[in-house]
Amino acid sequence: MVTTTARTLSFREEVENLLHAEEGASLVRCIQCATCSAVCPVVEFMDHTPRMLIGLINAGMKDEVMASNTFWTCASCYACTEKCPEGIRPADVMYALTRYSLWRDTFNRDWVAPEFSRRFTKTILRTGKSYEPGYAPAFIFEGGFSGMVREMQMGLKLLTKGRMPLIPSRIKRIHNLRAMVARVMPLDGIE
Amino acid sequence: MSERKKVLIVDDDPDFVEGIKAILDTTYDTEVAYNPKEGWDALKSGRFDLLCLDIMMGRGAEGVMMARKIRKDPVLREMPVLIITSLREQIAFLFPGQAVHPGFVPVDELVEKPVDPDMLLKKAAAMIAAAEARRAAK
Amino acid sequence: MSRYAYYPGCSLETMAATYHVSSMEVAHKLGMELEEIEDWNCCGATAYSHVDELLATVLCARNLAIAEKQGLDIVAPCNACYKNLWTTNAALKRDPDLAEHMNYALEADDLHYDGGIEVSHIMDAFSTPEILEVIRQKANDRLKGLKVAPYYGCQIVRPRRPGLELSQVDNPQYFEELLRAAGADPVPYPYKLRCCGAALMVTNRRAAVQMVRDLLQNAVDSGAEVIATACPLCQTNLECYQAEVNHAYDADYAMPILYFTQLLGVALGVGVKRLGIGKELVSPDIVLKRAKAGASSASS
Repeated sequence: MVTTTARTLSFREEVENLLHAEEGASLVRCIQCATCSAVCPVVEFMDHTPRMLIGLINAGMKDEVMASNTFWTCASCYACTEKCPEGIRPADVMYALTRYSLWRDTFNRDWVAPEFSRRFTKTILRTGKSYEPGYAPAFIFEGGFSGMVREMQMGLKLLTKGRMPLIPSRIKRIHNLRAMVARVMPLDGIE
Repeated sequence: MSERKKVLIVDDDPDFVEGIKAILDTTYDTEVAYNPKEGWDALKSGRFDLLCLDIMMGRGAEGVMMARKIRKDPVLREMPVLIITSLREQIAFLFPGQAVHPGFVPVDELVEKPVDPDMLLKKAAAMIAAAEARRAAK
Repeated sequence: MSRYAYYPGCSLETMAATYHVSSMEVAHKLGMELEEIEDWNCCGATAYSHVDELLATVLCARNLAIAEKQGLDIVAPCNACYKNLWTTNAALKRDPDLAEHMNYALEADDLHYDGGIEVSHIMDAFSTPEILEVIRQKANDRLKGLKVAPYYGCQIVRPRRPGLELSQVDNPQYFEELLRAAGADPVPYPYKLRCCGAALMVTNRRAAVQMVRDLLQNAVDSGAEVIATACPLCQTNLECYQAEVNHAYDADYAMPILYFTQLLGVALGVGVKRLGIGKELVSPDIVLKRAKAGASSASS
């Protein structure tokens, strides 16, 4: 909606503006039926169930929403999106909230998921391809020492089976790929 | 006295919009759209003397996409476009310390948030005047 | 003969190299040509959409443009790559502004995308009616009676592509049909569409380990002797982290996890080495025995 009067946008509208190009129904359609929460395979690891998160967004409780780990816990399996009887696409809402939390710098520095996304994104910009061993450090924060040892043992077994490369591979025209990215993300130093 | 000039703000951050709208309202008739789609609809339905455009909106850096579309439109291309962005800050998580590359954003001016009120009003006045001069010269 | 532009995806060069070699072997046996997309790049996985969807789109657009230049429709063996390429393709065909912007970016690599190709999962290519018929004719009896849990994963069916009925994504049957064509005995596997945890194995280990445990237990309860997967993330989580599940839950799962292409290969008479069987951390003894039995009876 275009407006001439000064008004503050509701938080729900702010979230929906991030989704303006997506196809899902407006969050106001949510009937709090909890189908999304029932089909979510990670719900018990979320601070708020998907149903609660949508309820909080609709109630304008921005601080609670942005402090929640829910959207960083989403595994992008789209079970909720398939089953929502109102046509809302909760998985797309989760993506929108991760963008919001990175752009507005509201994410919790202790969480592994944003750091993983950062490492992943930088790896692709450097080589054009993903490289699994490069992400292990993101996990070490969470797994502790014994977790790290088990991870290294597994890595060694995979290495001997020829399933773990020591050197990341790289596409040929990586410079062109970076130039492409710079055209959609206009920052110096990407190219 | 001449009619008040019209300014459109396209920005998804309601707090920032509230601020610059209050400044611009002192001199201009200001309208606001909070996402690029509504911004484009507004541009197509009314005539504006200046557009203040954000970069990071919706899916990503959609402000760049919108600025490029404006520059390809035979009518809208005459309208001055001022990018007001905090792109650098918003994406510092990935590219710390990188400056915005104006060469990739086809607009008249690009400034970074936060914006000084006097500077904003001076820039707006200068850009609108320059556009009028261009029109008069044709 | 069917020809496709083949998008391996990053995992197929590393953890999932066996998926790559077995796909190639099976394609060869079935008279299908897979032409690798020249200088392909990463699809962006989920991480790019967390940061900026346009960045995710530009990565996929490059692969689409190169495949279009090769004049071929794409097949992708990874569920996540498939979903990303498919979604980007649909968005570029639907949204001319997005397509224009992406083509501006593609210029930097002398590319252009006109929206002239389609994207499928490699399993779709291996389960067309014609190919199924070829498999039925060529399959030996080495998988006969082998109880296989058909594990689809998530993004191979979700989000639902336009034109599909809910039943087609709620309880699809094409994986089962393919396994039957190869002579195996697919078991009803209630969790066949449940998530493996994907990247949560890095970002939320506890959650992912529990998700894998649930999938393994459900396969055991279903009477499966092996789980067949169609995605490198699913395979890695279920197989490489099985020890982690056993550690966390004091359990003793020893469920072999193979790519569906490896099972197809055994049924089509390809040697286990050529299919990469034997590089697992959880040994697929039952399949190895059957493959060898078949080999000795064939040579006698």
